[in-house]
Amino acid sequence: MIKTPLCELLDIEFPILQGGMAWISDAQLAAAVSNAGGLGIISSMNADENWLRQEIQTAKSLTTKPFGVNVMLMNPHVDKIAQVLIDEKVPVVTTGAGNPGKLMKLWIDAGIKVIPVVPSSGLARYSERAGATAVIAEGGESGGHVGDLATMPLVPQVCDAVSIPVIAAGGIGDGRGIAAALMLGAVGVQLGTRFLVASETNIHENYKDKIIKAKDIDTTLSGRSLGHPVRCLKTTFAKEFLKAENDPLTPKDTLEEFGRGALRIAAQEGDSKKGCFMAGQIAGLIHEKESVNEIIIKLVKETETALNGGIQWVK
Amino acid sequence: MVFEKIVEILRNYKEEPELEVTMTSSFEELELDSLDTVELVMEIEEAFDTSIEMDGTLLTIGDVVGLIEKAIA
Repeated sequence: MIKTPLCELLDIEFPILQGGMAWISDAQLAAAVSNAGGLGIISSMNADENWLRQEIQTAKSLTTKPFGVNVMLMNPHVDKIAQVLIDEKVPVVTTGAGNPGKLMKLWIDAGIKVIPVVPSSGLARYSERAGATAVIAEGGESGGHVGDLATMPLVPQVCDAVSIPVIAAGGIGDGRGIAAALMLGAVGVQLGTRFLVASETNIHENYKDKIIKAKDIDTTLSGRSLGHPVRCLKTTFAKEFLKAENDPLTPKDTLEEFGRGALRIAAQEGDSKKGCFMAGQIAGLIHEKESVNEIIIKLVKETETALNGGIQWVK
Repeated sequence: MVFEKIVEILRNYKEEPELEVTMTSSFEELELDSLDTVELVMEIEEAFDTSIEMDGTLLTIGDVVGLIEKAIA
């Protein structure tokens, strides 16, 4: 059994969060993770408030356990989304792509636990001061939008910078990774890529197959020049995008246009010529399609084995 | 007074004692990304023993000076 203070704090059985992935983390996935003892998280991506309300209500019909919602702060509907979270009494909100600032106060006053995803110890300190319950220190090994620092240096520095609980993310795909994160000072982990292949994940089968086939070298960073780098699989689309990005004659608008809709196409249509398949560097470690419950049970067992095994090196 | 102190903090932060800074200098012109801005604003807040709202409207040094002046008034 793996228990940390995060379990009590978030009322969950295991300190494992499932990352909010745009076009992927829906009510079914989030509810499955929560039912398995972790914390499932719905991604509200760029969706509007009506879509989100529906997803939250669907999740509530599928689980009685707590779940969270990830808010992308660049979402044009963010103010209405913020209110839906309060109306629906969502227990946990994670935030990404920006500084939650004023919204945080609103949520905290409504009793929502706010857990910002941070790419630096400065933003972690700022989040703590603003009333965050915990922070997710996410390294650039993760899939999707990433920061510069890798998980190994980021997590202990964030742990030293704040006194609130730290959740590690980025590059964690099995129990060894979880054990390592706990050793770095984290009291929980967030995994995204590992859940991509779960049977409850509603994405195109091609996407899952690509993750299963992926090797350690099969992800790349695109969009760095646009200021928001995205880690994804090196598909035809990603290679074409990188070629255009590296050509100084490509206007930024053309590049933005190139990427528009690519996440949805990957998740729903599985088209590797037009879709951007977000995935973390850990994709190469994932070899099996399993249910969420099987994944979580395995993760916990592996973590126990890794942590118990560590003692052998203490002489 | 507030402006001068902020310029000093900024020059220290960037380790550029001769750095030219005006009220209209933007974080972008000063080559400070969003993570630098968070670090810098927190240093400024600590120096003035106050706190200001950090959101997307904070674009220039003048914006920070204005908020700090209001906060300590």
